[in-house]
Amino acid sequence: MSREALQESLSALLDNETDELELRRVLAASGEGEVRATWARYQVARAVMHKELLEPRLDLAAAVSAALADEPALVSRKPGLPWRGLGRLAVAASVTVAVLAGVRVYNQDDLATSQLAQRDAQPLLQARPLQGPAVLAGYPATGVVAAPGQGSAAVQQHWQQQHLPAYVRQHAQQAAFIGTQSALPYARAASLEGR
Amino acid sequence: MRRFSLVVALLAGLALPVQADQPADGDVAGWLARMAAAERGQSYQGTFVYERNGSFSSHGIWHRVEAGGQVRERLLQLDGPAQEVLRIDGRPQCVSGAPAEQLVAAAPLAMRPLAAAQLAGHYQLRHVGESRVAGRRAVVLLMLPRDRHRYGFELHLDRLTGLPLKSLLLSEQGQLLERLQFTQLDTLTPLGEQALSPSVACLPIVATAAAPVATRRWHAGWLPAGFSLLATHERRDPDSGVVLSWLLFADGLARFSVFIDPLQGEAPAAARTQLGPTVVLSRPMPTAAGEFMVTVVGEIPPGTAERVALAMQPAQESRP
Repeated sequence: MSREALQESLSALLDNETDELELRRVLAASGEGEVRATWARYQVARAVMHKELLEPRLDLAAAVSAALADEPALVSRKPGLPWRGLGRLAVAASVTVAVLAGVRVYNQDDLATSQLAQRDAQPLLQARPLQGPAVLAGYPATGVVAAPGQGSAAVQQHWQQQHLPAYVRQHAQQAAFIGTQSALPYARAASLEGR
Repeated sequence: MRRFSLVVALLAGLALPVQADQPADGDVAGWLARMAAAERGQSYQGTFVYERNGSFSSHGIWHRVEAGGQVRERLLQLDGPAQEVLRIDGRPQCVSGAPAEQLVAAAPLAMRPLAAAQLAGHYQLRHVGESRVAGRRAVVLLMLPRDRHRYGFELHLDRLTGLPLKSLLLSEQGQLLERLQFTQLDTLTPLGEQALSPSVACLPIVATAAAPVATRRWHAGWLPAGFSLLATHERRDPDSGVVLSWLLFADGLARFSVFIDPLQGEAPAAARTQLGPTVVLSRPMPTAAGEFMVTVVGEIPPGTAERVALAMQPAQESRP
């Protein structure tokens, strides 16, 4: 399947204008990193077009595959006319569920933020209340959106809380060491501390 | 306009006899070179504010070029926690608060000046006008990304010295991601010892003795154009014995880090968050050698970070 054709299919898939054969082709090809990335880009583009703040989840491919696996009869079944229509409907529904499961709308906080972030907006002086054992200053606990998946939410959050603050700090500090604009990476790093 | 430039040049000449000639307004490369030279050759002190989503802070900076050309610099946060750092030639000597013990053994990399030639391939460099920052006249330069894999940058340079007075990071939609802006700058008053002496809270940096690992276990299967690997750090965790990898990439202006650690029985989910200009994204990655967690941290668009994370690959020959 050529890349152009694949990308067209991807686009169609996200616009819910695809049949299940095409869907399977895309899914088969989605093992390749680039196709998955394209998929992600399209999702972002769609989100932007619809003015939604969505979180692209590349796990969608896996989720959709799983949804299809639960419907083995669809492709093997001879296209008896009434069934075909139903089957397509079923796949579309599964895809929708997967999309809904995989894509989370950002919380209110972030929406407000994106509006605030307009150039020359009001000062961004919102005090953010500390949330429990603060992971990171200025690191809204609700901002970490865990994808649905196996394992309890507590376990999933645990890893993030254990590792991410140190990584962010490490990145900011190393960046500071190689900066020409010495003040900028320093200020970034400082803004992560003790708020 | 010409007459004005002449006056400014004359003033600059009077105030700072060693100053190089001013670049022409449209000469972006000239101004960037001027900025790099100013940071190596110009002593100054001042205060600036830094603003990003959910955070606003003010800082003092004391920057002195010593007799031998060595640059000694102290930064101190003026509100809230007294974050402080003292650097000599860009190498931190002490850091206050939590960061000190978290510093990794990695030797700091050499300073890399902004080079117009390197940037031009991936950013459109433009002179867009004049502004006034911290009571000083400034030239405004714009670095517009040529693709979607990096953010735009607006830079206001002091006309007299070339020092950066203000910088804005802008998303594709023109949203302001962060702002650094001087409110006061003094390039004339000599800096005393006092101003450059760190407080007792500034803890000396001790390189931790993490055992370095020789092989390169991971490489990026895909990188946005213009980004290249700046450094790789691999170390064996003294407690668990697993190898942690850290790769640093840059395009001459933007930077991002990739951290990879093996998962030991845990099953964390993918997650993403945004800290002002910095995206933080982690996702589990199954490989033949087991499950790993790939984390991308950097000042790049989230979609790009996602793509980088997905394309990280274990090197063929080595097995963690």
